Amino acid sequence: MNYWPGFYSLPGAWFLLLLVPLVVFYFLKLKRPHKSVPSLALWSQVINDRRVNSPFQKFKRSILLLLQILLLLFLVLSLMQPYIQSGADRALYLPILIDCSASMAATDPETKKTRLDLAKEQVTELIDNLLPDQRVSLIAVSSTARRLTDFTSNQRILKQALATLTVDDVPSKLEDALRITQALSRTVPLKTVLFYSDGNFPKEVNFDLPFELNYQMLPPAGSNLGITSFNARKNQTGNWDVFIRVENTKTSSNPVTIELKQDGQTVAKEELVLGEGDSQRIEFSINTDSGSDLEAILSPGSYDSLPSDNRAFLKIPSSRSLLVYISPDLASYRYALAEDKNLVLYPEKDDATGPAEYDLIIASSENNLEKQALVKLGVGFVPEDLKKFISLETKLTDVVDWNRSSALLRHVELNDVQITEQPVWAENASVEDLEGLGYEVVVHGQLGPLLLQKRNAGDLEYYFLFNTDRSTMPYRVGFPIMVSNLIQLTLQEAGIAEVQAPATPILPAVEYVPENKYLIKTPDGKQLSAESNKNGLVSGIAALHVGKYLISGEGANSDEISVSLLNPLETSLVSVEEIQFTEVPVTASQDQIDSDKPLWSEFALIAFGLLLVEWWYFQRRPAGVPS
Amino acid sequence: MSQETHSNQFTTLFDNKTLSMLERMRLNPTRRLTNRSRGEHLSGKGGTSTEFSDYRNYVPGDDVRYIDWNIFARLNRPYMKQYQHEEEMHVVLILDASSSMDYEDKFLRCQQLAAAFGVMGLLNFEKVSAYSCNNKGGLPAKLSPCTGRISMKRLFDFLTKIEVGGDSPIEVAVEDVLRSHRGRGIAIVLSDFESFGDLQRPFNMLYSAGLEIFGVQILGSSEMNPEINGDLRLVDSESGQTLDISSAGDLLGLYHEHRALLEAHLAMLCRQRSGRFLTIDSGDLLEHVLFDLFRRKGWVI
Repeated sequence: MNYWPGFYSLPGAWFLLLLVPLVVFYFLKLKRPHKSVPSLALWSQVINDRRVNSPFQKFKRSILLLLQILLLLFLVLSLMQPYIQSGADRALYLPILIDCSASMAATDPETKKTRLDLAKEQVTELIDNLLPDQRVSLIAVSSTARRLTDFTSNQRILKQALATLTVDDVPSKLEDALRITQALSRTVPLKTVLFYSDGNFPKEVNFDLPFELNYQMLPPAGSNLGITSFNARKNQTGNWDVFIRVENTKTSSNPVTIELKQDGQTVAKEELVLGEGDSQRIEFSINTDSGSDLEAILSPGSYDSLPSDNRAFLKIPSSRSLLVYISPDLASYRYALAEDKNLVLYPEKDDATGPAEYDLIIASSENNLEKQALVKLGVGFVPEDLKKFISLETKLTDVVDWNRSSALLRHVELNDVQITEQPVWAENASVEDLEGLGYEVVVHGQLGPLLLQKRNAGDLEYYFLFNTDRSTMPYRVGFPIMVSNLIQLTLQEAGIAEVQAPATPILPAVEYVPENKYLIKTPDGKQLSAESNKNGLVSGIAALHVGKYLISGEGANSDEISVSLLNPLETSLVSVEEIQFTEVPVTASQDQIDSDKPLWSEFALIAFGLLLVEWWYFQRRPAGVPS
Repeated sequence: MSQETHSNQFTTLFDNKTLSMLERMRLNPTRRLTNRSRGEHLSGKGGTSTEFSDYRNYVPGDDVRYIDWNIFARLNRPYMKQYQHEEEMHVVLILDASSSMDYEDKFLRCQQLAAAFGVMGLLNFEKVSAYSCNNKGGLPAKLSPCTGRISMKRLFDFLTKIEVGGDSPIEVAVEDVLRSHRGRGIAIVLSDFESFGDLQRPFNMLYSAGLEIFGVQILGSSEMNPEINGDLRLVDSESGQTLDISSAGDLLGLYHEHRALLEAHLAMLCRQRSGRFLTIDSGDLLEHVLFDLFRRKGWVI
């Protein structure tokens, strides 16, 4: 801290020249009123006596002038806008990032203040001490980033924006906010960026810092219990196994109660005792064929910092068979799936026409893939848009490498599979060209890709660029496993065998009438509007708060979608003291940031005080008059 | 006191009631400084103004008129009756009529007090003379010594006709008076005693002349409790000299100290010369001053 004050408006010192007219006018005005007295004998003695006894005679003689000079000095000092320098370089443009993710709603057991309240207090103090040439922009950080204000020095706007800032029940993601700030740095010079957070975000951030990040970590909150996972899976008996994971951050001797409600009725209740950092998965079994709404409610036995993770919602779909289309010439696939009772295979022998939509299509030509399906598998052809990059040659080849984590190839061994058709890269074509079109290479051959994956508007597409029936694949153990994986993938995509509770910050996509408008009512009473795409998908709707979202519109019939927090990181309330960026780490600063302290109000107050003293001195009853 | 002149009033200085009360009062000097000559009342009035004092043996040559014949008849021896002879006392009224007295009711009060003391002197057959001092160097206006009720009108006329104004300081005025005055008694000095000069010398001269000093300092209310503030230029009423003062309010404490010191100094000068001193406010009631203050202080009985 530099105690030597700086002056924001140094030209205000020119007003000191007013001292000259002040003194001149004072003495010009000092035409003493004449007062006739009987004799000066006593007064002469008095004056002589005072001159002898008072060392500050000259000072006292012009005390009014002195008061006026002091008054002018303090007014001019106030005009010069002095401030105590914090010692740090004064940033003219200061973006302030404020974390408002779910963990910022965690309260302190003693003060009951949330982390966001503490952040607001600190930012308010900064705003109060803003100097006239300083501009601040507030940016809210949650799963995305929102710019609350432009760069402004208007304290009213800044405080108003700060007051409207609330916690979103979403995990925090710092990258978006940093990118926004980076974009701002192209328009204004930024040296330092302030970031207020409780430190509850991933430690590693993939970002190159072009400015200095001042990370102000807020003090930790109290203990917290929360539901971090809620899903269900259909078992072989047709019942649904429901799994709930509960986590605890600190030791608590009181038991925790987990209650499971099915369509509003309590179907199960269990008590748990969790130690510090414990995580426990509870399993319930429920029976439903027509679909149900499940709600898990956590009742902590002791103090709980974060209430938003104590409820979770899950929708169990009604059961049905998968509709699968298999091209008639792909006998190996039809053979592998023929015995599965949960599947309805098309085309049927006596009926060539099938339904308008399928769950899975396995086709040997691109024409058959044009039908609607959740999962599509093309076998033995190169998609039309890839023909300029890949061509098929009749030549024996084998698999070089494959993505072992691919859901389709789980537990599938492709070594030594002989393939009679060889996809070959066209000249100058490469993987990047395919990635540009949204394809991902899953299996690499000797001269070209063998299996491609593509996510196309909610549909999952796989392409074997060779005919599997003209390879040794159908004769390998891996083939039925791969087909089984394909069915499991379809079940997941259809959401009829395994469901997970939807979580913030985005509502799961829902399918209604194509290109139609829909209204979504959020749990906090706001109305959002969205439009379905040409496939009828309504997606990308922000779900910032835990609770039920009501969708209304054509075909929606006031559908309810409930979302939960379900984020172990937010529930754990752990704090990262050091953020690891791509190049440099940034360590949290425990000390509150020093800001320049403006002094003009204090000087103006002193000037006002001097004015009152002068007025009192001028108007007061003469001293020495006996009462 | 009303300043109106009524046809039935004896003087404009005070009303008849006050005058009648004054007639019953007499001055009470500490020392009895009198003239050697016997008073008029002793020779002319035939014993009404003499008081028995003592007896002594007759010696040849004594006036046989003073032999107490009753004692002679009883003892057959002549004894002379001795009387306390009242001798004549001169009451000198010295009025400061300089410009400094022309403030508020200072000079009126000065005239009234002089008249009151004069009346007391005249009606007690003292010789009364009065001097009014205006200008430095000039002879003071004089009321020649007079006595008896008959001179009361002359005294009042002299006092009421005094013009105020001039620059004569009190110490010079006293010297001027003593140049022409003869006789022992009381000198009643009525002034504000606000002088740059040495006040010790006139008091010494009065004492040496056989006059007991009755000093009366008459100050106006604005001198007793001045209410001034700010930056002022004070102008002396006598000399026209000026004095600039700043923050006059701050000086008032010192002013009161100095006024009290002057009062104490004058009282000491008078006391050292067996005299008396009193400061009065011209704003005080005359009756209060005459019949209460002077009585309590033992100036009059």
